[in-house]
Amino acid sequence: MSVADRVLLTIGTKKGVFVSDAPKTRRSFSLRGPFGPGVPVYSTLIDTRSSPRLYASSCNPFFGMKVLLSNDMGKSFKETKSAPAFPKDDGRALINIWSLEAGPGKKEVWCGVEPASLFRSHDGGNSWETVPGISNHEHARKWAPGNGGLCMHTIIRDGDRVHLGISTGGHYMSEDGGQTFRASNQGVGAGFQPDPYPEYGQCVHKIVRHDDAPGRLYMQNHGGWAEWTGPGGPRPDIGVLRSDDYGHSWRSIAKGLPSDFGFPIVVHPHDADTIYVMPLEPATRTCPGGAPAVWRSENGGDAWLRLAKGLPKKESYFTVLRDAMTIDTLKTPALYFGTTTGQLWIGRDGGETFECLFDSLPPIHNVKVAVV
Amino acid sequence: MLPQAYVETVATVTLYLPEPLRTYGGGIAELPVSAGTVQAVLDHLERTRPALYRNVCDETGAVRRHLNIFVNADHVRDLAGLDTMLRPGDVVTIVPAVSGG
Repeated sequence: MSVADRVLLTIGTKKGVFVSDAPKTRRSFSLRGPFGPGVPVYSTLIDTRSSPRLYASSCNPFFGMKVLLSNDMGKSFKETKSAPAFPKDDGRALINIWSLEAGPGKKEVWCGVEPASLFRSHDGGNSWETVPGISNHEHARKWAPGNGGLCMHTIIRDGDRVHLGISTGGHYMSEDGGQTFRASNQGVGAGFQPDPYPEYGQCVHKIVRHDDAPGRLYMQNHGGWAEWTGPGGPRPDIGVLRSDDYGHSWRSIAKGLPSDFGFPIVVHPHDADTIYVMPLEPATRTCPGGAPAVWRSENGGDAWLRLAKGLPKKESYFTVLRDAMTIDTLKTPALYFGTTTGQLWIGRDGGETFECLFDSLPPIHNVKVAVV
Repeated sequence: MLPQAYVETVATVTLYLPEPLRTYGGGIAELPVSAGTVQAVLDHLERTRPALYRNVCDETGAVRRHLNIFVNADHVRDLAGLDTMLRPGDVVTIVPAVSGG
């Protein structure tokens, strides 16, 4: 079997990064790792623009952030020559790396960090520069950390448009290739302050888009505020949203879900109307009723279907974090999600039937997949 | 130019590196440094071994939260912090804190 016939997974965990691969049949997955010094990995990137390059952030609480790189399909990783770092006179220090995405240039990589800022590398991660339009935005020093820290976790490039998700900062967009950014949160609710619809400061959890639906974006926002009785009143259904105007405005598509709280949101690779979320109890951030389920909409969020075949029916209280659910791009794609209890699940046939691939990994932060 | 007080008290000390940092220090465990204070040791690292320095201090110059620095057997927090004066033969040790899970 040639190298070009494999499904490759990167799994970022509390104790390093694992790599898994399988033939396109996806019947059996191998596992190797952990790579790195046994510290948390919150972001990975499988860059398939040329020979696959696998990146992983390495959040070392002792010695600071590193970026790990593999040029051999995840058989080994080594540190790049440097990690993102703020200028000395900036006053901020890097706490974590939350997102790694391919940039427009041949070896360009973009990186969202904590405290929320954007960095860019033109040489495959060996040197980094801040992207000042957002990193030094007039709002940047006013954003506040959520429970996970003040993180820039989502980077979406769409030609000259760039969408960023910041928790807590909200959705920011650029229409000039990342030179300038502005908050774009019309219709994006916030539950943790008196003003239910502030200009910025929302706790956006994840944003996705699809090439076949220009202008459309889906967002998992921080929901769970339907019962709020304090200033500003209740704000139901603010957790799952959709934009049809390139992110200028947003509307709820949360009706029909058991909870509008969750972290990941995933779009089907061949159908822009099909999306997946993983609703969680807002107080505990665990599976509602102890019975995990992925929910799928096939009409852009107008209706939702519960998918749980093969998943535990009770006594299951894990969390699926914002980057821990993804979908491959094969003709009949498989969904994958990792749990904070260290299980990696595959949802075959677009989530129709689930099966646990690995049962006892460290807590999983991040899952990415590519067909290589 | 260094302040006169420092010039008069510059000492040759040994900086001891824990195993994970030796990759960034040329593979050696002990590094001779001429410095009058612990801060001067860090300044020396910043000038001469920036990759090693970046593992010890963040961009603001603060020692990373989960690292401890000792002069001989004493934690610098029990001495004068990074201003602790050094004497010839002192051993400055960088140790990761016992933490994590």
